Amino acid sequence: MKTVMAGQATEESKPETRFYSDKLKHAIHLLLFRRGKMPGAKEWELKARLGKNYKEIIKQLDTLLGEFDLEVKRVEPERSPTRQVSEGTIAGAEDDARYLVTLKGTLTPKEARLSGWRIDNLAALTIAIAYVVTKQGKAPREEVEKLLADKVGRWKTLTLLDTFVRNGYLKEDEAGSFTLGWRTKSEVNLRDLMTLLSETGG
Amino acid sequence: MAQSATKPERVRLTAGRKELRELVQTCEAIRDRKFNPFFLDIGLAVETLRKYFPFWDNLDDNCLDAETINRLAEVLGLQKSQLRYLSSALYTNPEMLEKKFRALSIRRLGEIFLGSWHPIVEREQLTVDGIQEGLRYWGQMLSYEERRKRLALGRPVQPAVADLDLLAKSGILTREEFAKNLEKLWEELRTRAGERRSVDYWSFIRGGSYQDTVRRAYYVSFLLTYGFARMLREGKSLKLSSIDTPTGRTGAGAVSYPIAILRKNVNPT
Repeated sequence: MKTVMAGQATEESKPETRFYSDKLKHAIHLLLFRRGKMPGAKEWELKARLGKNYKEIIKQLDTLLGEFDLEVKRVEPERSPTRQVSEGTIAGAEDDARYLVTLKGTLTPKEARLSGWRIDNLAALTIAIAYVVTKQGKAPREEVEKLLADKVGRWKTLTLLDTFVRNGYLKEDEAGSFTLGWRTKSEVNLRDLMTLLSETGG
Repeated sequence: MAQSATKPERVRLTAGRKELRELVQTCEAIRDRKFNPFFLDIGLAVETLRKYFPFWDNLDDNCLDAETINRLAEVLGLQKSQLRYLSSALYTNPEMLEKKFRALSIRRLGEIFLGSWHPIVEREQLTVDGIQEGLRYWGQMLSYEERRKRLALGRPVQPAVADLDLLAKSGILTREEFAKNLEKLWEELRTRAGERRSVDYWSFIRGGSYQDTVRRAYYVSFLLTYGFARMLREGKSLKLSSIDTPTGRTGAGAVSYPIAILRKNVNPT
């Protein structure tokens, strides 16, 4: 990584490159090391820590991370779809938007297992998220519980739903309805999910 | 107006209040996704508001009227979202989707999720905030008794003493002590090795069943570790020899050597 970032020139010959490399390092530290409850960094934070040219630094970082099947994703705070930095939508960003590093491609079932995800838990997450989507973003808890219990059993359903809420995949309001959580908005391509579900034969 | 209201007007006033409250309740149910937003005819609802508006005679009535308008506006917004959603690529018929959930295997559903999942990459670390959150979670968690009640699992089984018979029956312990088993196997090894001083590993561990073979291999591993036996490679075969004066500890330079015991390689005698 160091070679790639500072690779174009030596430190002595091109001081600008060295400076830029430091900024990139700083940016990746801000994005990867969790400091609060949420991962990533807020736009105001990046602006304050990286300077006024932070957008350019993030763009360059996104290009670099692309080589490792990663990308910088910008998540808008409320009711806004996730947009890719590479799509050129960084202009006009609001200060409370959040920047995250995500996997560009997808994981194989074996890779997912190695990172601690069981395939039946992922299946349950598919059902919960897809059902909330079909209900236009809000579904009563009882309905989701019933659907999941048919597939994974009642005992596991309660545990899994609590886990999904705790991890930010689902959000539960006071009335006991589920909406999509911040992590689903950041990590899941809902269009792909629904298309895959429609295409798969039952 | 209240003083001058005739009896039929008072009846209409009561009926109007009831209808508006029902309208508010219906709107709230729609907001909570209990009904389809198009379940409510907005035109008819507005007509109802218009019909009773001249009869409202106090602040509460006007507040109820305003609240109803507010709720109707929410439902109108939901109707708009639904139309937009129906025309988007995300739309799937909920009934059809439920059937699909039942028909698809757990594995296929998991793979579908993986096809659309781009997990966040982050370095997690234990922080003071994290510990506090954990403590809060622990503090708020219901007791095991309460959680059992919620799951309707019935009365819990009371703790009981597990004797040797029960442990042996459960396969946790064997009746013979571990050391005795080791000694018995060591004696067997010495006898079978005889003057040649060594025996083929596979023929030695082979037992009456696959489970027995694994058990013998398990004990042999302890004989090797404790210095009661030695394993040597001779060409393609593995030889096992006993040590007459065991040290009781692993020899210097000992290495860990895993040996897979496949069913196809172990034919019970």
